[in-house]
Amino acid sequence: MKKEIIAVLKNRAREMAREPEEQTSSATGDFLIFALAGEIYGIDVAFIREVYPLRDFTQLPGVPSFILGIINVRGQILPVVDLKKFFNLPEKGLGELNKVIILHNPAMEFGILADNITGMQPVPFDAIRTSPVSVTGIGSDYLKGIAPGNVIILDGEKILNDKKIIIHEEVT
Amino acid sequence: MNKMDEDFLKRIRETFRIEAEEHLRILSAGLTELEKKPPEKRAAELIENMYREVHSLKGAARSVDQKEIESVCHPFESLFAALKRKDIVLSPRLFDILLKAIDILTRLLSTDGIVKTPAERQIHKDIINQLKKAAEESPSDTHGKEYPDFSGEPQTEEKVIVSETEKNKVSGVAESYEPAMAKVVRIPVSRLDPLLLQSEELLQTKISFDQRLNELKDVNVRVTGFKAQLSKYSIDVPETAKMIHDEYHEFAGNCLSEMENRLNELQHSIEKDQYTFNRLTNDHLGEVKQILMLPVSSLVESFPSMVRDISHEHNKEVKFNITGMELEVDKRILEDLKDPLLHLIRNSLDHGIGKPHERTEQNKPPSGTINLEFKARGSDMIEIVLSDDGKGIDTENVLKAAVRSGVISAEAAENLNRDEIISLIFKSGVSTSSVITDISGRGLGLSIVSEKVEKLNGKVSVRTEKSKGTSFHILLPVTLATFRGILVKTGEYMFILPSVNVVRVLRTESGEIKTVENHDTISFDKKVIPMADLGNVLGLQEPGNKTTELSSKSSDQICIVVLTSGDDVVAFRVDDVLDERQVLVKNLGKLLTRVKNISGATVLGSGNVVPVLYVPDLIKSSISAQEKVSRPVAAGITPEKSAKILVAEDSVTARALLKNILETAGYQVSTAIDGTDAFTKARMEGFDLIVSDVDMPRMNGFELTAKIRNDRKLSEIPVVLVTALESREDRELGIEVGADAYIVKRSFDQTNLLEIIRRLI
Repeated sequence: MKKEIIAVLKNRAREMAREPEEQTSSATGDFLIFALAGEIYGIDVAFIREVYPLRDFTQLPGVPSFILGIINVRGQILPVVDLKKFFNLPEKGLGELNKVIILHNPAMEFGILADNITGMQPVPFDAIRTSPVSVTGIGSDYLKGIAPGNVIILDGEKILNDKKIIIHEEVT
Repeated sequence: MNKMDEDFLKRIRETFRIEAEEHLRILSAGLTELEKKPPEKRAAELIENMYREVHSLKGAARSVDQKEIESVCHPFESLFAALKRKDIVLSPRLFDILLKAIDILTRLLSTDGIVKTPAERQIHKDIINQLKKAAEESPSDTHGKEYPDFSGEPQTEEKVIVSETEKNKVSGVAESYEPAMAKVVRIPVSRLDPLLLQSEELLQTKISFDQRLNELKDVNVRVTGFKAQLSKYSIDVPETAKMIHDEYHEFAGNCLSEMENRLNELQHSIEKDQYTFNRLTNDHLGEVKQILMLPVSSLVESFPSMVRDISHEHNKEVKFNITGMELEVDKRILEDLKDPLLHLIRNSLDHGIGKPHERTEQNKPPSGTINLEFKARGSDMIEIVLSDDGKGIDTENVLKAAVRSGVISAEAAENLNRDEIISLIFKSGVSTSSVITDISGRGLGLSIVSEKVEKLNGKVSVRTEKSKGTSFHILLPVTLATFRGILVKTGEYMFILPSVNVVRVLRTESGEIKTVENHDTISFDKKVIPMADLGNVLGLQEPGNKTTELSSKSSDQICIVVLTSGDDVVAFRVDDVLDERQVLVKNLGKLLTRVKNISGATVLGSGNVVPVLYVPDLIKSSISAQEKVSRPVAAGITPEKSAKILVAEDSVTARALLKNILETAGYQVSTAIDGTDAFTKARMEGFDLIVSDVDMPRMNGFELTAKIRNDRKLSEIPVVLVTALESREDRELGIEVGADAYIVKRSFDQTNLLEIIRRLI
């Protein structure tokens, strides 16, 4: 048992002592990796304000179903968007591991629902292939492409800047 | 460049942007004042001031390597140096150049100094040349009439360049300001927002603290009650057991007494804590609110140049005066005021002020006047008056439009007095156009103004006199305060209803509900008023299911909240009325700019978020909900049969979104990826309506519409074009090819779309 542990530790030390691989790529971004309806997604941390556990949320009547509801984040009310509804992905039900990833840019701020956060991962920008997105059946507008390990990379910029999902309803 | 440097540069650019915005604000304010020809002394002061501002801006731009901005600032500064020396004088042309330069600088700032197109680059070159040329012009070339005492000194080339001594003088002046400045810290407003949110959270805690204390008091009262009951309590017990009984009785009494004492102590100390906590919270919130008070000038500084631009565009002459800019108002209120004020000003420019020749015919000076006044009303209210000396509002036209749009009936119209007629302009839905577009004919503008003002707990009124002018009066609180609201429950949902809209809460027998012409009503205050179920109005339950529920509950008492907005009174049935409490309304975030029936949300002491309902919407919704229920019955059609709609859209997201919206509204939806696909599908299956994008590959929306109109089988199907194209030509083309409605999708306004579809099917 102990031997095994030592072996693991040694291995790890070797791994860590290894020279970082030659960076042939131009730039690398940090991506937050999360699960959504059984698929793995990534989004550039530049667009993320924080990750917040989804403890409770309040549904709003009369809004499209892609708006899960609103949450209270330290006194600020934020809407939460359910990308599953938006992309017609299967519903899994809210589990305990549900997290809200709060996306942010100067003009827009809202949360998106994630089933589970896997962690952070550096991804070289030129490793993101912009091809067979149609395979997943997801609206290609919000996708940047696919990174190694079948990580579907979301386009934070496009999601945040999409004026079409802004709810502005008058009663007439 | 590594990430740290990048971050640093980003931060420093941000700081620069904030600073530069301030310089530009002062510059444009100065120009506006100068344009009004102030006394010479003041003019000299302003020029000196602006010269310093542009100099600092140039320096700041250089330090963050914003070459484009610097290159515009440089001749700008030289020009002011020349103005200062009175080598040149102010002329209307010069104002135009200067305003244009400020415009360009503002734009450059918003794009981080990046010039995208060669055309823009050319504009910059032009302005730089114009500035340079203007600085070199001799006074005899310009309109020197404004300053007749000007001494015609000869020009020399070197005066255009700022000499070293000039610069020193400038920094000398700046230094004399420093001691005062050192006490001021510059903090971006965005850093202050979390502070306010925190203190608002504290307020929530305070409110729940109060509630806990009340609960404790309640427990205390009960314990005292038990004790009293116990002392009276006696039973007949056999003599043998009496001793045990008495002992037990005494023991219980002692226990209760001790508990009572402990509770009293606890209550007392908690009351003391609560008192301290309340004071601290209130002070803290007060201080934070004070920090967030901004002068009105921060709101209106961009207005003069806007008025200038619009009046130039329309060939009108307008004098625009603003007074009371130093008054301080909560930043969030100012932010919410911007759109309504801009709207009112545009209205005045558009409909109020006539063209110079029209005005002369009416014996008015050719140039119109618009005054925007801010006045303090007591310590916590502000009055805003926007007045013009234009045509005034034609009450007859208002009345005609209101009757046409069905806001009031022709009979009711006859009984209205003048004030009532004028107040109709705040009602929405006056349409003069035969084709529905989202820009014209919906008559929503002023209703939005009154809605925004109402949401801020303010009031808006209008006074007008034909051919004399119009004035809008807005009365507002200067801070956002908490208000009292009633917590109600319907189904699983909780909502807050603002107490100001609540006439009464009552419990009554369900037998009191009378059905009049298929509408539920109830008598209240000797009047019959309509009644609706809150859950139904909000779309929480299917109206169909409700009838069974109603009958099962029929023996029960029901809870009714009578709500009012304006002149309308409607009773709403709820499952329960839980509480009346203090609430603080927060907005729903930037994604949800306007949600029907809901004005915001509040956080309860428990941490639960509860939506705050917007009563004017509720009342409107209740009317349309009634119609929805009664219409199918009257027409004898089963409500299950929903209309079939075909959506033609090439963007996957937009397609999914449209499908989602329409399905949520209860339609059967099929989709097509372009015009050709749509035409094929339309011929194969029967649809009740087609919603199509304009810009699509293979066959665009115009071609599709034209083709449908020319098809024998399809020609009757209504077509709604949804488009990003906004030009008038396109709209006309849309109408020409036979579209029934043309909606511009600036933001995704669903109600617009759904309402139009409802009208067409």
